[in-house]
This record gives sequence, structure tokens and C-alpha cells, in this order.
Amino acid sequence: MRDRAELVIIGGGIVGLSLAYHLARMGMTDVVVIEQGYLCFGASGRNGGGIRQQWSTEENIRLAIQSVRMFKQLARETGHNIWFRQGGYLFLARDAETAAALEKTVKLQNRMGVPTRMISPATARRLVAGLNTEGVEVCSYNSTDGVLFPWPAVWGMAAVAGKLGVEINTFTRVTGIDVKDRQVVKVVTDRGAVATQRVVNAAGAWSWQIARMAGVELPNKPYRHEILVTEPLKPFLEPMVSDLEDGTYFSQTMRGEILGGIADPQEPSSMETNSSFRFLARMCNSMVRILPRLSRVKILRQWAGYYDETPDGQPILGRVEPLDGFIQLNGFGGHGFMLAPAVGKIAAEWILRKRDHQIFQRYDLDRFNRGETRREQLTIG
Amino acid sequence: MASARRIKPIEGNPFDPGEPVQFQFEGRPLEGYDNEPLAVALLAAGVGLFGRSTKFRRPRGPVCLHGHCSGCLMRVNGVPNVRTCQTPCRSGMVVERQIGWPSAGLDLFRAVDLFSGKRLDHHAMFTESSWLNRLAGGVVRRLSGLGEPPSADPKKPVPVSRFQADVVVIGAGVAGLAAGRALGECGHNVVLLEAEDHRGGRLLDGATLGGWEQVGTLKTELESVSGIEFHVGTPALAVYPGDPLEVVAGNEGKTFWISARRLVMCTGAYEQLPLFENNDLPGIFGPRAMDRLVCGHAVVPGEPVVVMGDRDETLGLASRLAELEVKLAGVVTARRDAKALELLRHKNVEIFDERRIVRAHGGKWLDRVEFAPPDSPQSDLVLDCRTCVAEAPEAPAYELAHHAGCRVSFSSQGGYTVVVNDECQTSNRSIFAAGHVAGAASAAEAEREGQRAGLACALSLKDDQKIRERLKSL
Amino acid sequence: MSRTIVCRCEDVTIEDLKQAFAEGYRDLESLKRYTGFATGFCQGKCCTAHAARFLSALKGGDDTVADPIRTRPLLHPTPVSRFARAVELLEDE
Repeated sequence: MRDRAELVIIGGGIVGLSLAYHLARMGMTDVVVIEQGYLCFGASGRNGGGIRQQWSTEENIRLAIQSVRMFKQLARETGHNIWFRQGGYLFLARDAETAAALEKTVKLQNRMGVPTRMISPATARRLVAGLNTEGVEVCSYNSTDGVLFPWPAVWGMAAVAGKLGVEINTFTRVTGIDVKDRQVVKVVTDRGAVATQRVVNAAGAWSWQIARMAGVELPNKPYRHEILVTEPLKPFLEPMVSDLEDGTYFSQTMRGEILGGIADPQEPSSMETNSSFRFLARMCNSMVRILPRLSRVKILRQWAGYYDETPDGQPILGRVEPLDGFIQLNGFGGHGFMLAPAVGKIAAEWILRKRDHQIFQRYDLDRFNRGETRREQLTIG
Repeated sequence: MASARRIKPIEGNPFDPGEPVQFQFEGRPLEGYDNEPLAVALLAAGVGLFGRSTKFRRPRGPVCLHGHCSGCLMRVNGVPNVRTCQTPCRSGMVVERQIGWPSAGLDLFRAVDLFSGKRLDHHAMFTESSWLNRLAGGVVRRLSGLGEPPSADPKKPVPVSRFQADVVVIGAGVAGLAAGRALGECGHNVVLLEAEDHRGGRLLDGATLGGWEQVGTLKTELESVSGIEFHVGTPALAVYPGDPLEVVAGNEGKTFWISARRLVMCTGAYEQLPLFENNDLPGIFGPRAMDRLVCGHAVVPGEPVVVMGDRDETLGLASRLAELEVKLAGVVTARRDAKALELLRHKNVEIFDERRIVRAHGGKWLDRVEFAPPDSPQSDLVLDCRTCVAEAPEAPAYELAHHAGCRVSFSSQGGYTVVVNDECQTSNRSIFAAGHVAGAASAAEAEREGQRAGLACALSLKDDQKIRERLKSL
Repeated sequence: MSRTIVCRCEDVTIEDLKQAFAEGYRDLESLKRYTGFATGFCQGKCCTAHAARFLSALKGGDDTVADPIRTRPLLHPTPVSRFARAVELLEDE
């Protein structure tokens, strides 16, 4: 491991690697990435691969639009197939209040160029054969949303960054961050230390632990989210289907498996990654309700990962006053993967001082003190 | 070379095939028995190609015959990916293969296997341009998936029964039965889950070493023990850690959700096949699978048969095959002693010295096998055969213990075993393990350890001087 | 084409394992994800031991593969219909 670097990125997930990838392509290769496990160990290797532009805040929509554009090029850029399929996202709203809120977000998306439509349950049934729309008030559908296979995106970005000169260290745990006179000076790991003046905290669910090492208290909280996958079948489900009432989502992967999860309001914040029968029961119940033909489909496996949540559901980006050299790129909840390409590029440009971006003011840590928060409403899983 | 045939059932066979029934296989009426696995009936009827692998479209057929591989999957009554080795024939059943265009028998996409060289790198292919990539994605998607989604009517969710148990024993093989018995004799209530329809575990495949008789004996012995609630045909599906532990098990009609204070894992091991070129050709079985097929279900998959291995069970199986007048092309073994070899020589079966398999040959089913001496890369023996029985180290079935976080240890001699202390306790104080899953190498050892686990488990629930002494005396 | 199939469910060959190792995927979890072994219908029952043995031989010791790939429920592929009604038994529902 290098003993000094211009920049150290803590976290080898999609966000950290996206930053490394773009920095390297922009010419900055004196970068060290530190990942505690194998690549794909964290949320980047455990998510359902959903990529959508249907968001309720301008910033997220903008980042999502840009990321979708970038995902379309990623396989060619990295030489790794990510199998990005724009099969659409179909949201189900079951009451008037949710329907009204959904309609507002769709109008915002339209204003920003996302072609989402409000559609009737009958139209939704034509998009998904066998869909049970009993109790569904209205739906939204955007055909340019989609799904991909997350692992190769991680490997691809790592491979390119690595080839260009970025050092990526897996199975390496950060044990400390040395700060002198409010300036970051060193990152200490269990395999040695790296002297540096700039550290990016892209550690996902571990971000609050990393921040503490630098004396910073982040309001992020990790939450277990569970997910399951079925046997692989021939293609029969085009869009990702999601029920806004309970946060159920499922889609069909490239290999033909049905992959999805459900939100659990009872789940406390924890670093638990064991699976639960409660999840299996609730998810199966929801699947059968929404798409009855899934009742005979066999489940292969269930697992769990973390959402790195913040109080307003928006990420924590940028500098942390009064420290110099400690940059946050975390708190992405359940949508870090799908925004990572744009976030990585913007952050790279910002770090290289090529271009400032409003999201670093909008989503800075201090916003909670200023009371300038705006919650993202469209969250699932 | 002869294709599959039915033979006369062996006396004392616990696998009663039941009544004859007729079912449909791709438009053809076929005969089977209503207590015989579909896979066996299909093999007996001469069906050798059950399906194809998704990537290279290589032929697939039944291999493990115990419901843990994916070789026997077929579409049954409109449901995809049904394990036909675990599905009894039913009158009027509609059975079809799932992969292959224009047909499973002639799959043009096998060209991928024939023309893609040493490797097909699915990560890098079609990444040269983004629009080509999108196009390829659509095609690859259509080619993926093992079968079409279910066309049968949606199934009504089955009832789930939730209850508590002091002890759940998983596996009714020798170890599990011994553990259950010990616990029952100590006055504890035990729920004993077994995936197969019969108790006995690998004894059911030990026809050649008196396994069936032992099954009968064990059953009789347990009749006098109270407190054991048997659930056969009820595979355990998951163990969730916590206090209490949660065990989820079930079959077609019902799901059990059991909160258990203690677990005794006696899940045994999965038979494995050795690695060699074209090891995935249908017609290659392990000794347990072959024993189940020939001795248990009275079906010979194809002759002549080659048997390779050194274990008593394997050589015993070979001699049993000879006794049953199954044509043997040869037995390949490092063993010089063994009573079984005498019998084989007496029956004029050719015995070859220790070799390893280098390559199997065949189109959609095995044709012949190439062997080489252990330290030589060059093959020096080719045996024409339609069935090859090949031995390999087993892989202990550690999964359920691992769900609950129990520590395991690896040995290149045979996969991962559950780590236990002298009292059969795993790294989780509420979970005990015994038998082949914990590294036992014989039925006698499995029985002893099963008993030990049962006693130790009983002790952990309630301290008792007498039980402690019994445990010490083991 | 003559191939040594390590994972029959996903058609992962010994050559695939060698290539993945050469490209730097040298722990079981990464090897599994990159090649796809143990991600198919049988979830590794027929291939995990082989893959671990392969890696152990390349890395020089059984201790290098001491931790297996993480096993998760379910032990066998099971239809959705078997679990849906368990919600009736959950404390809060």
C-alpha cells in the first residue's frame, strides 16, 4: 500500500469507485481506495439493481437523469457487461393522498424531461400480465427507468481506475484518521498508514463510524434491508413493479430471476445482516398479492444489506466545517447505486476544482442546523 | 450398448413403487408408478436427456437423485424447474423439457458450446459498442432462464403452523435417530424433521452393506421410545439465528415455523462427483445415486457400467451389480483386498488398477470413459460404457448450521464440516451437530456421535446426574 | 467442446476459475460472484467444495479458504405460496 497519496477514498463501493473512476479519467491517479471487504461486499453488492429517475426532488431527478445516460455507456467504457435494461418502473398508489403526491412528483419529473406518465390500473395491467390492481387507485410509469446487474459495474469501474493508476486495497480496514490543526493528515489502516491531505468518506453504512474517527458526528443511521431472489425464468416481466403503500419492489433480472424486497417500518437501526423469516413472510405475501402468478415461483435465496439513512433521506455531500480535507459522499439511503455515476463525476470535477456544483451546498452536513431540509418522498425497499 | 431397463426389485426394498400410472412426456404416453420418482420412470423409459444447461446448452440428466442438484429439472403440469427425482409419478401428469430450440433434443444454441473456444467470457462480450451491447442484452435475456414462468393456475398460499419445541433434530439418518432416541429416553420432547419419505439417510443407499436391514432395526428400536414427533417428507428449509432459534420446514401442503430452544443438526453430506473433462455428461453417477437407482428403484440406466472407487460401499455396489447380472465393463480401484473384489473376479469382471478419470465421451449420454494412472497426464485406458459410477469426497451439508452462524472448518479431503466440541456442541451453544455433517466417517461413528449429541443436548436443557454419567461413559 | 464443469447449474468451468484468479478475484466470495458458481439453482451444493479446493491449491493451504461463501436461507428452492400466510402469525400484522 502507498504510504502517501493526494486523495484517499474510504469505501470501495460504487460511490467511492465512481469517484476514483472519474478522477482517474480526468488525470488524477494519485488516489488510494480503501475497502474493508471484497469488492461488492457492501450495499453495492447486495442491492436489487434498480435504476430510476422517478424522484420527488429536483436534485435527485437531475442526478438520476445524468446517471442513466452514463450507465448506458458504462459497459463500453469499462469492458464489463452491466446488462442495463430500460424496462421501466411502475409505481402503484393505493389511496387518494398517495396518488395526489405521486401526481405532483410526476409533473416535476416531466418538467425536467423525464417522460413519466400517470396511468390507470387498466393500463398497468396491460404492461404487466396478471397484475392484481385491486385496491390500486392510480399508477405512474416511466419507460426509461430500468434495472442492471450491479457487480460488474463495481468491477468495471475498479478495473479502469486500477489500470489508470489508482490503488485499490481490498480487505483493508481503516482504524483511524489523524487530524492536525483541523487538517486531515493521515489515514491509518490495519495494513499501514497513508499520509494525505484529502479524505473522502464514501463508506456507506459505515460512514458514521469513519466520520467519528475524524471527530465528526454524522446523523447517518444504518438500517438493515432484506431482499430475495427466485429461480431464473424466461422473460415475462418488463418493468420494476413497486407498491408505494408498503415499499414492495420486484423486477426480473437479466438471468430471469425475480429480485426484490419490501420496506419494514418496524426495523430498527442496526448493523444486522442476518436474514429473517419475518421478511420472507411479508415479501411473499406482498408478491402473491400484487402478482398472483408468482405464487408458484420458487425462492432461491434471501439476504440483507444496509441503507445508509439520513434524517431527510438525502445524502451528505461535501466538506465538513471546520475541517479541511474531509469530504463526505454518503447517506444515499437506498439510492446510492443509481446516482453514483453522476455523483462520482460531479465530485471529481469539484475536487479537481474544475467545476463547483450546487449539490455541495444543498446537501452539506450543516443543512440540519440551518433547518433547510427537504425529504425525498419516493423511497422503497 | 444397452439402454435403460427395469430389473426385478430386490427383496427387503423399502421403496415400494406403488401402483402403475400413465403420464404424458412431450406428447408420448409413458408408464411409471405412483410412488416412484418421475426421474426414475423417465430413465426407465429410455429418456436420457432431461434438459440443457443455460449457457452452453450442454445435455443434462439426473445426477444426485437425492434432490440437491439441478440435473433432473423439468416442467411438470405447467410448473417450471420441478425436481423430478423428488416428484412421484401421478396419473395424467404432463411432463416436458424446458430448454432447447427448436427442441431439447436438437438445440441449435449448442453451437455456443461448440464454437466458443476454451472460455466464453460473458463479462466482456459485446462491450465494443453501446448499441450493440443493448441489442445483445435483449438476445441474451431471451436465452436466459431455465424455463417459462408457471402456466398453471396460481397456487393458494398454504397454511403455516407455528409452534414451539424444546428440541428440533434435523435429519433422520443414523445420527439423527440416535440423537432423537437419546433425547426421548431422557424424557425430552423432540421434533424430528426428515426430508426423505423414509428414515435412514444414507442407510437407504446402503443396500449393499445391509443398510436396509439397519433401517428396519432402527425403526423397531425407536417404537419403544416416546416423545419423538416424526415428520418425514418435511425438509428443513431455513434456520434463523436468535433466541429461540427459528426453524422453517415444510412440504407441499403445509409450512412449519418452529421456535426451538435447541437444535441438533444431523444433515449428513451431499454426494459429489470428481472433476474431469465432460464430467457433466448424463450417465455419470456417484455410488449413492447409483445404489438408489438400481437397488432402490430397480432401474439400470444403461449398460455396460464402469465403477471407479475404493470405498467398501462402492465396491460392494459393483459386486451387487454383478450379482444382479448387470453388465460391467470393469471396476477401477486402488484396493487389492476387499471381499467385493473376490466376488467380482468370480463373476469375471475385469478389475483395473488405481486410475483417475481424464475425460468422458458422449453426445447426449455417456459413451465411454478415458482413464489415466494417478501421476500421469496421459490416458492409458478407455472403457466403453453407458453408465459410469465415480467416487469423490462428499461435501457435508453444513448449510443449515451455517444459516445459524455455526463455525465450520474446511478440509480439501471433503468440503466444510460443522465444528463441534467434545460434547457435539457447535459454536452456537444452542446447536449441536453429529454425523457426517460434523465429520463422522462411518455409520458407527455417526451413531455414537448422534447419541452423544442427544445426551449433551438433554443435559443443556436440564442438568441430570444420570445423563451426565451416561455421557461420560460414551 | 471438451470442458471440465465445476458448476453445472451455471456452466462454470475450471478455465473460468483459473481466469478469474488470474484477474485478481482470489477470495471465495469474489470468485463466486465473478464466475457465477454457486449462484444457480442448487446454490452451491455440488460445486462449492470443488471451488474451495481449487482456490486452496492455488493459494497454498486449506486455511486460505477457511471461511466458506455465506450460506443463506433457503436450503432448497421453495415456492412463494409456502410462506405468504406466515404473515397471519406475525405479532404486529
